[in-house]
Amino acid sequence: MNPTIFVQTTLNGLMVGGVYALVAVGLTLIFGVMKIVNFAQGEFVMLGMYVSWMLATFARISPYPGLLIVGAVMYALGYLVFKFLIIRVIGKPDEAFILLTLGLSIVLQNLVLVIFGAEYFSVDTPIKDKAFHMAGLSLSVPRLIAFVVALLMVTALTIMLNKTDLGRAMRATSESREVATLLGINPTKCFTIAFAIGIVLAGIAGVLLTPMFYVFPGVGTLFNLTAFVVVVLGGMGSVPGALLGGLIIGVVEALSSTYISLDLAQLFTFLIFLAVLFLRPSGLFGEAAK
Amino acid sequence: MNPKAAKFVLPALIVVVLAIPLFVTVPYYLHIMFMIFLLATMGLGWNLIGGYGAQLSLGHSVFFAIGAYTAVLFVVYKRLTPLVGGVIGMALAVVAAVIIGLPCFRLRGPYFALATIASGEITRTLLLHFKDFTAGANGVPIPFHGNDPLFLQFSSKAEYYYLALLLLAVVFMIVRTMERAKIGRYLAAVREDQDAAESLGVKTAWVKMAAFMLSAVIVAACGVLYAFTVGYIDPDSVASVDLSIQIAVVVIVGGIGTLWGPILGAAVIVLLTELTNMYLGAVRGGASLVLYGILLIVVILVKPNGLISLFDRFWPKKQVAHGTTA
Repeated sequence: MNPTIFVQTTLNGLMVGGVYALVAVGLTLIFGVMKIVNFAQGEFVMLGMYVSWMLATFARISPYPGLLIVGAVMYALGYLVFKFLIIRVIGKPDEAFILLTLGLSIVLQNLVLVIFGAEYFSVDTPIKDKAFHMAGLSLSVPRLIAFVVALLMVTALTIMLNKTDLGRAMRATSESREVATLLGINPTKCFTIAFAIGIVLAGIAGVLLTPMFYVFPGVGTLFNLTAFVVVVLGGMGSVPGALLGGLIIGVVEALSSTYISLDLAQLFTFLIFLAVLFLRPSGLFGEAAK
Repeated sequence: MNPKAAKFVLPALIVVVLAIPLFVTVPYYLHIMFMIFLLATMGLGWNLIGGYGAQLSLGHSVFFAIGAYTAVLFVVYKRLTPLVGGVIGMALAVVAAVIIGLPCFRLRGPYFALATIASGEITRTLLLHFKDFTAGANGVPIPFHGNDPLFLQFSSKAEYYYLALLLLAVVFMIVRTMERAKIGRYLAAVREDQDAAESLGVKTAWVKMAAFMLSAVIVAACGVLYAFTVGYIDPDSVASVDLSIQIAVVVIVGGIGTLWGPILGAAVIVLLTELTNMYLGAVRGGASLVLYGILLIVVILVKPNGLISLFDRFWPKKQVAHGTTA
């Protein structure tokens, strides 16, 4: 086995894993606070990619400075989706959430198809093809930026959850909605903000992905399934778990597509997923760790 | 409508449905009806576990694909009639149901749904990977035999229409019988409260598995019929997550845990999709799926018991909804 190829593959896997982690952190935050699985998370990644593409094409704003705009747009979108749809199924059985967000994902994906057509778009940035080279290894700049920004966002979210009043209120709501209400916390407000932040994280992941992936209506489904796997692996509701899970899945996919078969890469991801579900459903970091 | 009039609706409906191919010969219209029957049958099958048993499976494409691929590959490699190959496919679907069900039934809520999605994706990935055997993404065209009933090949669409109708009728009677038998009540008990049912001596694991196995056989049979009607299968058409979701959505839109819900849901969804494609398809693809998604969202928010609940007041007594009537 060629050690350079191995290290290079692992490195690539880690970089992509950072972005998986970012998508999954949004999903796990929503699950942790509200106990719902958002089946449309990948579609919000896709929307982030389209907003970023539109900014680049029509306003000449390149993805990285555009992050703030995309973040604001996604927050507004998350807020509206919560106010008009999600709030109506809180307290109903799990199936209602799953089916509502499935319906939402079908609508979003096909609405984009109706508006923009099935073409594949790409976003050009000056650094798109730049890479660092060292000791026979190369590290593409967009991947590195995606990885670093993903780590920063996860850190910021962890600090927010642990050190701010809002974060503590969210964690309290997640532990027990009734007790939180008695303590003067407004659970609906916590749910709204948690959901909107989860959507913002998906959107930012989308922006970071635009220099590496084509933008097309179905791109979200790729990330939807991977994000579920990452979240379950890390433990539903655990932010550090989602980070570690994202990195693990990124590396597993990279190694299996290099050494086994490109089209079996997903198979290993799903096998890990099922193994975790059956052997340790609480994931690496369990329910207790938040 | 008073109860007396309601009695005439069903026989009238049966006569109309049986007579349609005598007057309608446009293959496209017959194919639309075929798809309604097929989806309704799959919905009835899914309903056994997804509705009566309340285990939200999003992986039923596994059984559809196993039925379709087994029957087709037996024809391609062994020239074995699909009447036998199809039965082997249905048996393999039962085996798959046991393999998936044993571990998955320990999971609840979103975990069960996620595990079934993963099972579907694993099946699709394997079909894509073993190209030498399954032809991978290229798919398998069924060798043409001309008019040969033994190989489910007919010169007109009408035969497929009646075959699908027959399958629907048989499955409808099976589900109707089950709903009223012991297993139907056990399933209702599992749905209401799994732990309580267990403590009352209901073997919940076995009840769920039995429903799942029967549900797999029904969907596999649909896969066989679909393959030979369309004449071509590939992993995207018979093993996709979208198909699994559609089977579930048909039942949910129509009315989960009811006998007529899957039939109503299939009719509404197929007609909605085909009509939009007919009138808007030329403008932009995707419009029909936007409406399909909106329909699902509206039903979940406004009519959680499905569109069939709109008809509740027409029935003399409470419809078999939730399987509580004896």
